[in-house]
Amino acid sequence: MTTRYRLTRRALLAGTAAGVGLGLARPGIAQPAALRGTTLTYWGGLIFSDAANKLLVDTINRWGQANGVRTDVVMINQNETVQKVSAAVASNTMPDAFDLNLDLLIVLARQNLFAPVDDLYEKIGRAQGGWLPAIDGATTTARGPEGRAGVPFGASGNMLLRRDDVLAKAGFANPPTTWQELVTQAAAVNKPPLFGLGLALSNVGDGNVQVSALQSFGGRIADDTGRTVAIKSEATREYLRWVKDAWDRKIFPPGVSTWDGAGDNNSYLAGQSAFIANTGSVGIAAKTQDPELFAGTKYSSLPGGPKGVVSPLTIQYRAIPKASKNVAGARELIEHLSQPAFMNAYFENAIYGPVLADQPKLKAFDGSSAILSGLLDLARRGTAPGAPDVYNVAYADAWNNFVIPKMVQRVVIDNWDFDRAMDDAQRSTQAIYDKYR
Amino acid sequence: MTVARPRPHPHPAAPDRPTADVFWTIRRREILGKTITYLLLTIAVLLILFPIYWMVITSFKLPREIFRVPSLWPQVFTWNNYKILLEQKDFLIPMRNSLIVASTVTVTSLLVSSLAAYSIVRFRYPGRTLVGRLILFAYLTPTSLLFIPLSILMARLQLGNSIFGLVVVYLTFSIPLGTWLLQGYFRAVPRELEEQGMIDGLSRLGALFRIVLPLSAPGLAAVAIFTFTGAWNELLLALVLVTSESQRTAPLALNYLITSDVLPWGPLMAGAVISSFPLMVLYFVAQRFMVTDLTAGSVKG
Repeated sequence: MTTRYRLTRRALLAGTAAGVGLGLARPGIAQPAALRGTTLTYWGGLIFSDAANKLLVDTINRWGQANGVRTDVVMINQNETVQKVSAAVASNTMPDAFDLNLDLLIVLARQNLFAPVDDLYEKIGRAQGGWLPAIDGATTTARGPEGRAGVPFGASGNMLLRRDDVLAKAGFANPPTTWQELVTQAAAVNKPPLFGLGLALSNVGDGNVQVSALQSFGGRIADDTGRTVAIKSEATREYLRWVKDAWDRKIFPPGVSTWDGAGDNNSYLAGQSAFIANTGSVGIAAKTQDPELFAGTKYSSLPGGPKGVVSPLTIQYRAIPKASKNVAGARELIEHLSQPAFMNAYFENAIYGPVLADQPKLKAFDGSSAILSGLLDLARRGTAPGAPDVYNVAYADAWNNFVIPKMVQRVVIDNWDFDRAMDDAQRSTQAIYDKYR
Repeated sequence: MTVARPRPHPHPAAPDRPTADVFWTIRRREILGKTITYLLLTIAVLLILFPIYWMVITSFKLPREIFRVPSLWPQVFTWNNYKILLEQKDFLIPMRNSLIVASTVTVTSLLVSSLAAYSIVRFRYPGRTLVGRLILFAYLTPTSLLFIPLSILMARLQLGNSIFGLVVVYLTFSIPLGTWLLQGYFRAVPRELEEQGMIDGLSRLGALFRIVLPLSAPGLAAVAIFTFTGAWNELLLALVLVTSESQRTAPLALNYLITSDVLPWGPLMAGAVISSFPLMVLYFVAQRFMVTDLTAGSVKG
């Protein structure tokens, strides 16, 4: 690759630390002679942090040099992973290993496209205190016919970002702990052009925060069998009452029902929203682009409802396609990339929380970074993907069809009554679930 | 606008009050008409130019100002977005790749489409009409349906992840379009002119290159512009077929500026300004041909 990156002081220090760490650790790493002379193509997930992207590329290339493996590292924009992988699967041009999220992993694993990595998964877990429970549960759920399909390396999810500078003046020193409290605080500071509640209600990933809200009110997508849709319920009605009340108070910024994936970010960076739910990328952007906003921002977990907090983790994996021509090399590399020295440097620059029980002890999570502290909290207290629902392919499909944001739109935009909106969501979601019976 | 001018009065010495009134009424209408025309044109120009203006001024703004102060003029002018684009993101490499791809596709399309269109228009052979229609259907097939078959094909041809592969793929869209467009222009060239040339010693190819093509210059310009613009702006196929950073085209490189869910508007707009520059130059140079072409079409019926 002929990429040139801006080498910031932080990236330099992180890279040096990782390099030194890995250099010290090298005697302990097996370097099979069988790998020499082989080639390995790796598709890394391009994330918001240039420093983290560079660190991954450099580390893989250094590993290749040390083991005599020709490495070709390509950073794939995560927004386009589905298209790239779809085409690569069809044309049999899959890389030897690549990064992907749980949603895609579960779909591809069902097609038996990955080499099983159970032994590698267990080996890495044993070496670092075991996998965090929510991570372990999700990875086991996403197994293919022959075993676990990927090795987790980072967890993320939605945190609640709030304009502490504005809220503190209004007398709210602490973050809201319930959805109702969130509306109360948002309404108190709602003075357009600053709106209280920048939560997306549109057909994008951010809109699915509404699924978490619904579940924390006791609502469910499907029953415990994971086959019969159970959207229509009294709990869902309670949730709809909450969201309709917030809508009627006019605390949502204009356009939330049609926002794209960057809608909440743009709104927050524009000083248009007092609260948003975000993975932390806005925080990193504000750090360099708007230090004043960054200083006035605080992070907390998502609020809870009558049934507690539902804050699903989004897990990132490294997986090896069955079509890989260098499965042995890919396994060695994935194990190499799981080492604490590299992961510490990576966590410091990326926006991922830990996945292994020993990782919270890393320097990255010492509390000096508000974002990483929030992600650590999320990794510890976050709920397994889909929970309390059964996370299966049908759930992932329903999730990607934005069935709950659409139901909300029927209520707040089209003024449907709750029963009609619930019936419609129930019917369309059951059709999705029926595809996988 | 063509408004009938008042005829000179047959007896200018004799004052004629009603005629003078008619003159001024017509004059007023003429002025009013022109005013409304220019007003509407000004609104149209503003509507068209405003997004371009916004793109340009956004590329000179600081990030905070872009989000916080949607002003018509930057409070602080900065070249930083261009520096990020050119120094950190090496945007000149994708620009070069786009130029290579778009130019090669345009030249090849013009050559092949000219021959194909000439064959369909001038020669008689079985299936000629069917071929002409199938070419149009090929062009009308949505790209989103074709990206997986094309990626399989490119992988088998060992042309994946290269700008040469992109050229081949883009030709599958541009040649049908060019052939279809040029058929109309070639039909408008009188067959007798070619026959006359051939009587004077020109070969069939000579007649094509020395008579038909020069007379179809506006059509060739139109095809060149459509083809170049299409290849220059294409994103979906480049996204799927190109992986390496060194092979990315300008739209793909711009797309890669967006990571995660944060939009770097400053560098994006700077990239949009830079990558729209070649198209602006092309349209500026070729607009004369385009206008001629449209006028020619209108009189030929």
